[in-house]
Amino acid sequence: MQPLLLDADIFYLYDGSLEGLLSAVFLAFDSKENPSDILVEEGLQYSLLGSYQSVSTDLDHAERVMTGIVSTLGARCYEEVRSVYLSDEDHKGGVILRFLQYAFKHGRHSLLHLAHPAVNEFKEMLLRVTNEAHFIMMFARFAELEGGVFFARVEPRANVVPIVMEHFAERFNIQPFVLFDRAHQLAGVFDTSSWWLVDTRRLDVTFPDNSRSEEGFQSLWQTFFDTIAIEERHNPVCQRNFMPKRFWGTLCEQIPPELRKRRPSTETPSQAAKRAARLTGTVAAHGEIAGQGHDAQAGPCALEAGSCP
Amino acid sequence: MELLDKLTILADAAKYDVACTSCGVSRSAEKGKLGATTNAGICHSFSADGRCITLLKVLMSNVCSYDCAYCVNRARNDVPRATLSPRELAELTMGFYRRNYIEGLFLSSGVLRTPDYTTERMCESIRLLREHYGFRGYIHAKAIPGTSDELLVRLGTLVDRMSVNIEFPSAHSLKMLAPEKNRASVLGSLRFIHDGIKENYQDKRLSTTKRTRFVPAGQSTQMIVGASPESDYHILNLSASLYRSFELRRVFFSAYVPVNENPLSPLVREAPLLREHRLYQADWLMRFYQFDVSEIIDEDHPFLDLLIDPKCNWALNHIDHFPIEINKASYDMLLRVPGIGVRGVQRVWAARRERRLDFDDLRRLNISLKRARHFITCNGRFSEGIVFDPSSIYRTLANDAHRRHCKGVTAGQLSLFEDYETGPQKAQEQTAPLVTAAMTVAACSRHMSGSCGAPGSLAENMGISTTVLAKNNTSATVTGFWEEEATRRRENTHAALIA
Ligand code: SF4
Repeated sequence: MQPLLLDADIFYLYDGSLEGLLSAVFLAFDSKENPSDILVEEGLQYSLLGSYQSVSTDLDHAERVMTGIVSTLGARCYEEVRSVYLSDEDHKGGVILRFLQYAFKHGRHSLLHLAHPAVNEFKEMLLRVTNEAHFIMMFARFAELEGGVFFARVEPRANVVPIVMEHFAERFNIQPFVLFDRAHQLAGVFDTSSWWLVDTRRLDVTFPDNSRSEEGFQSLWQTFFDTIAIEERHNPVCQRNFMPKRFWGTLCEQIPPELRKRRPSTETPSQAAKRAARLTGTVAAHGEIAGQGHDAQAGPCALEAGSCP
Repeated sequence: MELLDKLTILADAAKYDVACTSCGVSRSAEKGKLGATTNAGICHSFSADGRCITLLKVLMSNVCSYDCAYCVNRARNDVPRATLSPRELAELTMGFYRRNYIEGLFLSSGVLRTPDYTTERMCESIRLLREHYGFRGYIHAKAIPGTSDELLVRLGTLVDRMSVNIEFPSAHSLKMLAPEKNRASVLGSLRFIHDGIKENYQDKRLSTTKRTRFVPAGQSTQMIVGASPESDYHILNLSASLYRSFELRRVFFSAYVPVNENPLSPLVREAPLLREHRLYQADWLMRFYQFDVSEIIDEDHPFLDLLIDPKCNWALNHIDHFPIEINKASYDMLLRVPGIGVRGVQRVWAARRERRLDFDDLRRLNISLKRARHFITCNGRFSEGIVFDPSSIYRTLANDAHRRHCKGVTAGQLSLFEDYETGPQKAQEQTAPLVTAAMTVAACSRHMSGSCGAPGSLAENMGISTTVLAKNNTSATVTGFWEEEATRRRENTHAALIA
């Protein structure tokens, strides 16, 4: 983001927590310094040219920033800051800082100054996070495990499990479930009355196998998915635009037919009416197929969670 | 028969229904019950044709005693038949919902014996799902025209959205292609549901939660495009009046996919997807951009231009309103700029209070300038290299569209994103047209030679004499107009393709 690092560049470093980030923001305001960026300390590539200052997390400071945002910019704005914090992008700290510097100066109205670079980059980053959250609401696929817990594995590009848990906990309030973000090693757990987050980095958890009815529902869904497409309108480009390929790994309907456990045994009426000739070609695929590839992709994805370091 | 086989048959039979949306009603969760709905709806998957899957779209039964010419399930076709029991349907819906595959159920059915008998069984299935299984997700039910009022009320209180298909733009086509259905009863059902919604909404004795219980997500309808000779002018005027008189949430268009070999069902070789797409764009203009139908299409040019979208078309026909100055134009005028969507206008509107905007600012606001740059100035200046001349703008825009089709990118989807701002949440309100270069050209040439939608050939196929059609088609000189229109289009197309 900064093409050249000048001597004067100050970088604040924090521990990666929201409190840490807000403490760094506090320090920037308090010291009237203007750090070029606020970065996570862990795993940082230092450069010789900048000067780095590690900010210790101070709950008190963080809370003062929080109340400051809520009272001058509104509770909604605080939520937005929190969402941007969940982004995977390295420069989110700087983006939040520059936005807050601008917004505290210009008041509530500044949220509408969309063309201003500080507001613009903040809003853009926010949009990327909320889009990712929306993708998870669309594409998370739960599988029922033995014992009745539902399990979904997702790999979003932002740490969005905390913002989607409420959505799932509401609609699925009759079933315990685990929403496991493998990319961020974070699991949202719901036990039919409340939900909480579990850091799975240091956990060695094993999940049971899929329940007996699970396979059946997956193949029903796969069948439905294949059948509902109108052949004459075939349009894979459009499909990928709406459902990016990076999600396909966890979508059971996207498992190629030859890797699935079961195949539909009847042809559809319109197939019967129109595709008699082509059927001969597909008969081969109806044979016995083992589902090893399937397991690796989306079936008992739970097993993979067990082997987390 | 196994459930898997039934599902295959019944999903296959339901796939031509367009309305797969789960929006229009927000219902919070209730402890101990499965499901909730969000106002914007959520898509859960996209099938190989690029259409959104948000609901479990099935027929309760594909056994049908009617014999509609355009339908796979008609009585005379020899296809496998199946019927889902209420229990099977409920378990399927619950099982899919629990796994986050769907937002709910879209239930339709062939006519089992009589409309009333069918509707009664549909009610029974849905009641089981709602009451016994406690399902609070979205349910869309298709009402069969001719169902008694009492049953419509019963169905309407169980579901979120209802739709009655008008099927064809004119009563005459409906009669030709779906002999057992009649326009009056379709309109009657639409009116009855509309009145019911209104009454329910105005009934002050009901608490606010109960007040919207009858069809809370409103009703929609669907018509088939390209299987009958009506013009876009006819279709759009009809949908405008449907929006007006029945306050429909949506009028869906479905490009006719020929499924039956039959002398009665018209011989359309390919589904007119581009035409369908343009109709949706026009529909969007009426619903979100405050366009009146008369601004989009007129009797003298009764078909939408396939090469450029209707908003561009309007702008080119009213070029004296342009260019508009981005920093001064009124909100309504900003809405009329091709390439700028509703949300884009909102962003410009907010941002320009802080500063005068230039083209870089617009880019920063994610305004797609591809089309817009021909029609706007920033601080009195055009974007670089713009020649403000209607015919050259037309060539550029049509050429762009052509190139996009060549790349195999779906013009439809793209322009919907740029122009009409259907985010992923809204996308489900939109079907996904497939357009390739070949398609476009085919569509245009078909359009021009008059083999699709043109009165002559179609009328023959349908056994209707051209005179009847001419009367029916509001314009007495259909053929004459058609030739003129064809010439105009051919010239335009050539100009665009050569340039
Ligand atoms: S009523 Fe007509 S359109 Fe509906 S299922 Fe029966 S034949 Fe098909």
